[in-house]
Amino acid sequence: MTAVDEAVWGTAAPSVGALERELARLRHAAGAHAREQGHTVARAAVLNVVVYAERGVHAERAARGIVRLAQRHPSRAIVVWRDRDPGGPPADLDLRCRIPRVDDRAGVCRCEQILVRVRDDDDARLRSVVIPLLVPDLPVFLWWTDSPPPRARRFDDLVALADRLVVDSADFARPAETLAHLARLVGRGDGGRIAITDLNWTRLTPWRELVAQFFDVEAWRPFLDATIGVGVGFGVDMDGRDIHPSQALLLVGWLTSRLGWRPAESLAPAEAGGLLFRMTRADGTPLAVRVRPRFERGVAPGDTTGFRLRCRRRGEVAEFVLKRAPDERHVTATVLLDGRVRSLRVVPLPAPAVEDLMAEELTIAGFDHVYEAALHALLALA
Amino acid sequence: MTASATAVAPNPLREGLRLARAPRPTTLVLFGGSGDLARRKLLPALYNLALQRLLPAAFAVVSAARRPMSDEEFRDEVHDAVAQHSRTRPINEDVWSTFAQHLRFVATPDDAGYDRLAGELQRVDAEVGADGNRLFYLATPPAAYAPIIRAIGAHGLRGPGSSRVVVEKPFGHDLRSATELSRIVHEVFREDEVFRIDHYLGKETVQNVLVLRFANGIFEPIWNRQYVDHVQITVAETLGIEERAEYYDAAGAMRDIVQNHLLQLLALVAMEPPAAFDDRAVRDEKVKVLRALRPIGPEEAPAHTARGQYGPGYIEGRAVAGYRSEAGIAPASGTETFVALKCFVDNWRWEGIPFYLRTGKRLPKRSTEIAVRFRVAPHRIFTREAEGVEANELVLRIQPDEGISLTFGAKVPVQGFRIRSVNMDFVYGASFMVDAPDAYETLIVDAMRGDATLFTRRDEVEQQWAFVDPILAAWARGEPPLGTYPAGSWGPDEADALVRRDGRVWRKA
Repeated sequence: MTAVDEAVWGTAAPSVGALERELARLRHAAGAHAREQGHTVARAAVLNVVVYAERGVHAERAARGIVRLAQRHPSRAIVVWRDRDPGGPPADLDLRCRIPRVDDRAGVCRCEQILVRVRDDDDARLRSVVIPLLVPDLPVFLWWTDSPPPRARRFDDLVALADRLVVDSADFARPAETLAHLARLVGRGDGGRIAITDLNWTRLTPWRELVAQFFDVEAWRPFLDATIGVGVGFGVDMDGRDIHPSQALLLVGWLTSRLGWRPAESLAPAEAGGLLFRMTRADGTPLAVRVRPRFERGVAPGDTTGFRLRCRRRGEVAEFVLKRAPDERHVTATVLLDGRVRSLRVVPLPAPAVEDLMAEELTIAGFDHVYEAALHALLALA
Repeated sequence: MTASATAVAPNPLREGLRLARAPRPTTLVLFGGSGDLARRKLLPALYNLALQRLLPAAFAVVSAARRPMSDEEFRDEVHDAVAQHSRTRPINEDVWSTFAQHLRFVATPDDAGYDRLAGELQRVDAEVGADGNRLFYLATPPAAYAPIIRAIGAHGLRGPGSSRVVVEKPFGHDLRSATELSRIVHEVFREDEVFRIDHYLGKETVQNVLVLRFANGIFEPIWNRQYVDHVQITVAETLGIEERAEYYDAAGAMRDIVQNHLLQLLALVAMEPPAAFDDRAVRDEKVKVLRALRPIGPEEAPAHTARGQYGPGYIEGRAVAGYRSEAGIAPASGTETFVALKCFVDNWRWEGIPFYLRTGKRLPKRSTEIAVRFRVAPHRIFTREAEGVEANELVLRIQPDEGISLTFGAKVPVQGFRIRSVNMDFVYGASFMVDAPDAYETLIVDAMRGDATLFTRRDEVEQQWAFVDPILAAWARGEPPLGTYPAGSWGPDEADALVRRDGRVWRKA
């Protein structure tokens, strides 16, 4: 078996019971220090986070992220690492725990980190380890760092334990298929459906806000119903090999569902990696939606680079344009009427780390119906 | 809510976004744009809203003042103000440049000036696409309110869209002047178009008082005379009067803090649960509390009020002058810089429970808090062991270190029984590691959206003055006399006597 980094994962425990005893000992030790300074000690936890990872780097990255996250959302974090390395974990499982130091406030234990490392040969085992480790009565967030697999026991078992599934569609190896899988998951309608958070959707929030703001202006609102074309750009690396159009697709799905467009056909455009959809508006008028890969220095592959909505109403052409500024940290929002600039403003575009996106999403408890509708719209496009 | 009729369909893209109801496109018409308030609070707040993408896509500021200057000069002035006072620094010049393009200036020394302002507003509407929605913001000294309001009416400055007016405190200096001011405002604006700012209500933690009380099931059942012994509300400042000598010497602590901020806090603590969280229901309930306040007339004033003025002393180790030696203050000034009150809310819930309020300048510590002291356990089985254990107290700290704490008795872990008071502390900033939005930013967005929940309604203001006026009248006759206190102390002895008579003490806030 290969060893794991004890500085990250803490000491090994032979059983779940032993692990809980070790955590109690660690809390007490932390408490002794706090008591010297006259503080009382409290364990703070507002949620259980179960992380699923198949690669060591993902597991470690998630563990670090959760420690940062604990400042805003104290938690018990259970990292399930399904180690594919044949020389990896011991035959049954490797359990470890640690209480990372979250901030300088003595006397509050804000994060308990547990590692559950298993071989990839027996998925049936996972559930039985995770259930006793969950803090009762707190919501369970399942953070799946990989592409959610269709028809896999490990996924279904853990999803069944969770109140909310967190994924990042930016990392999906096959975006179209996996997004469709997610859409079916939220649409099960058997009462057992799960709330889904897609961190890539959270990245889109500022873009959605800016698009929506155009149409808070009464004079521009009617153009929204007269759209004739949409263009969305997404970042690719220099050689254009890594194609991750999930974010762009979600933006298209969002517009399609909000505006009641109906997909007519999906065409392969001339450009490699691009997508072209023909749709019809609610009033039957056709429109074209183009999704294009763009190489722009500094833009992470998959991130939106720009957005353009073209509308024609009573002979007047309006264009609503969002463009990532060359410095990456701003967006220019422009409105053109018959080619003349009517409004131009520059607004900041945050570039949050994954933990910041998580922190934002953990404040939301219920279902995100707008996201679910966007997913369903994509299902119809595929 | 303003029902400015519009045939335009709602924006289908809004749903599920951070602001479910976004501020509508607006031209903010600013009076007093060069003043202290605009420079320190308002303009930096607007810039920070732009940074957070919370301003509408069509937005402009038109500043109107007597002294002429160019748009460019005005922009430079705003840039300076933002650079100096913004909570985010340095200025993001990319965002600033497009924000600044929508800053205009019009000189309004006379009627012709107001006509030019009307023309400019129409031009801005057409250029920016603000849909004729206008938010008039009065950040001038109060003497200018009436002429400006009348000019807005006389020169047809109200737009074809919604028109709203934001009025800064003070709303009058007594009941008569407040009523008169409202009358003038109503010549041009309906009450639902008037937004009287009490920036305390924009603070997150003040709103949290409502959340604590009405989003939780466990507090409301004990929030009454059966369980509460008394309530203390403190607004303590370490600052002196700074640059505001002229205003302050005429107003005093009663008009500066008690009439608005302290009575607002009292109303939030004592109000009945509103049926909904909207401007009408919340403000209806607050007004009911103010109406139920037992009047303090000349007979009650000596026993129910205390006032004081600070003398020389020390603040954080630094020697500071007494009030009468401050620049711009008459050496014989009788203005109070400290007020303590014992109030009763005469209704079913609070009958007989005292609410002690105090505020002062040059107190030892800056602190705003509401402390709800509960009754002691009815039957004490731990008499000997629990010596020194205090009654349960729930403290809502508004500033600094916003949070909530609850004290209760706990067993000291030794053989035998010893009981000690411990503190369960919730620190707002530690649980949510984000910058709370600035009060002005919250309130400006609300005013642009037309949500008046966090603004003071006419009847609230009038009830506040109706309570305060008789106390001021008693004081004017010297009852009780003005006490003095050294700067850096917790107020005059008279304030301590006020609570000691009831067998109580002030909290060490």
